Amino acid sequence: MSGIETVKIIVDAEKQAAKIIQDAEATAAGIRRKIDSLIQNQRTETLATAKKEAALLVQQAEEEGKREAAGYEKEAAVNTRELIARASTKKSATIEKLVGLVMEEKK
Amino acid sequence: MMSETSKFTEDILRVATEKARNIIAEAEAETQRASDEAKTSISREAEAIIRNARADAEAVKRREISEARHKSKLREEQEKDTVMGEVLTHAKKRVLDMAEDETKYLPYLTSLVESAIRHLGNETPLVHLNKVDMTRVNRTNLERDVAKALQNPIKIEWSKEPIAAAGGAIVSSRDGKTRIVNTLDERFDALESKLLIEAGKSLFGQ
Repeated sequence: MSGIETVKIIVDAEKQAAKIIQDAEATAAGIRRKIDSLIQNQRTETLATAKKEAALLVQQAEEEGKREAAGYEKEAAVNTRELIARASTKKSATIEKLVGLVMEEKK
Repeated sequence: MMSETSKFTEDILRVATEKARNIIAEAEAETQRASDEAKTSISREAEAIIRNARADAEAVKRREISEARHKSKLREEQEKDTVMGEVLTHAKKRVLDMAEDETKYLPYLTSLVESAIRHLGNETPLVHLNKVDMTRVNRTNLERDVAKALQNPIKIEWSKEPIAAAGGAIVSSRDGKTRIVNTLDERFDALESKLLIEAGKSLFGQ
């Protein structure tokens, strides 16, 4: 093999090596580019799931609150009816008492 | 010569391949770190959303119950007010109707006039009655009973103008500058807030 042939072989090898590195750098750039969109997608998906769960939590609490409130109102209505019924039995005596107070109050 | 050249080119390619592997490995490690950091950050954001939602949910539930309590309390108060209003109206009617029962009314009228004169501290007070009382009340007897109650002789002057009241009297000084209003209507109105408290105690024990 002549000296020229040897140099040619080495130059070809250098070119091949440069190509290998160039390809690797392109692959690395592709990996870096891909991660940004992956992260963005993951963020959108995770936050959407969290927001959905959050909305459900609030909706469930509202429904639970309405149920408890309805129960409370029902119970309160019964208590009020009983209170008014008891008071109605005391009306006459109370009227007497008030008339007495007007009559007896220091003038 | 041939094997040395071959060895040299192999070395060049081996070094390049190794460098290429490193470049890719570094990119992968870098993206892995970025991915891990992003996961932690996204997870924190999601947790904050859920945490805030829990607080919101608790507040929403509390608000529903609190509104129900408020509404029920308001309804109860309205119904109690209605009952107390009825009782007060009946009591007022009873007091005003009492003027028609002379056996009860005349002693009461005497005490109203006596108390007004006592407050006025005037020796010749001017007493105003309503139209009915002006005709049915024996003024001499009333003056005598008032003097007896005061334990002091008194000269009452009777106004010729009737007052607009269901009963009772207005006693004034001769110049009209001082007036003690002891009509049934006024007495009831003046006592109304006290009567409402008493009605509340009696009806609802409050």
